Amino acid sequence: MTDIALQTRGLGVKYGTFHALAEVDLQIRRNSVHSIIGPNGAGKTTLFHALTGRVRASSGRIELDGRDITDTSDDDRVRLGIARSFQVTSLFPNLALRENLRLAAQGRTPWQALAPWRRAESNAEALAIADEVIERLALAPVSNRLAGELSHGQQRRLEVGMAMAARPRVILLDEPTSGMGIDDIEAMKQLIRDLGRDHTVLFIEHNMGIVMNISDVVTVMRLGRKLVEGTPAQVRDDPEVQRAYLGNMITGDIA
Amino acid sequence: MNPLDKPYAQLALALLTVLVLPLFLKSGILATEILIFAMVVAACNLLLGYTGLLSFGQGIFFGIGTYVAGICLTRWQVPVPLVLAGAAVLGAATATLVGWLSIRRQGVYFVMLTLAFSQLFYFVAYTFSGVTGGDNGLLGVPRPSVGGTALNAPWSYYTFVAICFVAVFAVLVMVTQSTFGRTLLAIRENEGRAAAIGFPTRLFKIEAFAISGAVTAFGGALHAMLIGVAPLSNIEYHTSELILIMTIIGGSSSLFGSVLGAGFYLLLADALSTVWPRWLLLLGLVLVTVALFLQRGLWGLVERGYDLVFRRERAPETPAEEH
Repeated sequence: MTDIALQTRGLGVKYGTFHALAEVDLQIRRNSVHSIIGPNGAGKTTLFHALTGRVRASSGRIELDGRDITDTSDDDRVRLGIARSFQVTSLFPNLALRENLRLAAQGRTPWQALAPWRRAESNAEALAIADEVIERLALAPVSNRLAGELSHGQQRRLEVGMAMAARPRVILLDEPTSGMGIDDIEAMKQLIRDLGRDHTVLFIEHNMGIVMNISDVVTVMRLGRKLVEGTPAQVRDDPEVQRAYLGNMITGDIA
Repeated sequence: MNPLDKPYAQLALALLTVLVLPLFLKSGILATEILIFAMVVAACNLLLGYTGLLSFGQGIFFGIGTYVAGICLTRWQVPVPLVLAGAAVLGAATATLVGWLSIRRQGVYFVMLTLAFSQLFYFVAYTFSGVTGGDNGLLGVPRPSVGGTALNAPWSYYTFVAICFVAVFAVLVMVTQSTFGRTLLAIRENEGRAAAIGFPTRLFKIEAFAISGAVTAFGGALHAMLIGVAPLSNIEYHTSELILIMTIIGGSSSLFGSVLGAGFYLLLADALSTVWPRWLLLLGLVLVTVALFLQRGLWGLVERGYDLVFRRERAPETPAEEH
């Protein structure tokens, strides 16, 4: 096995004639925390869509552990070990929190769920994973409430939990802290750092405090292209990045 | 969750219906028709309530079941259990085909596709009158004995249909409780997320279609044996509409709601049609009322009634603390 969990070569995505993503070469090291930053419209979310198979790449290649997955469907990629959370919370609002996670855990073995005679509870593993994620996210007190009734911070944590429940090798988090309060952000930072120990984490984030604090590698994107890549310190001091951000956004401290 | 929504409660209510209908109805034919439509409507509910698919194609499967019974019984004297099994299999196969093609589109386009298929199958049945009897349908569909028991008397046929109904209803309850049924709910809630966590959502929808089609065709076959005819009207678009209306009146949040919907519609139609020939107009008013005031259908009313009677004294659930 190589040291690279996920890599892209010359990845491009076109929406009509608009190049949302062009010539992106990425190498995500195994068990590292890799963050993607860049101004709005830089193509960060499109990159995620392409990596998870939600949109088709119009050029280039995507490899997971050296295996070409460019033409693999989104649900197949989940089974191969890619899971994601969404920038805009996307849950099953009328189902209980625990049921949300059970479904996410069941999603790894979806063929089993096609059997209309199998009871949901017969998949003990999925239930165990759901409980484990609930424990890890400290959501136990609300585990039987409907996802739609949870507070925003709880929903954002559940959103990340949905990705964790798939037991992925590579976990993609799209702005996990968006709209969160200060206390929640700190907890999320701990969680992402924690995830980086046993997963490969790729995340999009606008909060530079978190990015500079917990990332091993930072990739800066602009206008659908990769601008700079390096350690947090390198990126922060890069003149081109400072120009892209007009020098006023990268203020976070490096721990 | 309301205790009435629990699977055993649903099953108990279905059993109760089967036992109570003969006590209140004089006509065994009407009672049998209610049970047949109850299972067909419950199958429609599997699509509408559990998967979020508004299908105008249910009449296709119903009609196919009708013709399977009509053809097998008038021409070849096939034993009844085989006829019913054959209807279910052919219904499932047709539903798989219709589902496979229709769910490529979503929302209104999906609905239009099922509508188009509904018309298509109607004209196929109309055109191949050598097989289907065309406009006249297949007349003189017999009602052979099953296992040595004659079913000619209305109430003995009712007993046979009642057993089928309870079995089918139990299967549908099992399906909705299974991991498959729970995944359908997830797909209805948020299809994009269901796909993102790894479920091939199209396959699940097709399977829901197949199960729904099998049950609907099964009901169609029972219906042909009930009225002794396999009429063209059973495969008409109007039948699809009828099944949908019953589903919506009953409420799509619970399977037993469908039994209520079928019963309510047929009993009302029976009562009104003797009073006023333009009774369909009144039915329109009922539908408007349901759409405006009873969005959870008759079942929603039952749930509310239950809460009023049994839960009045209970304090609202204590909100769990934040974080």
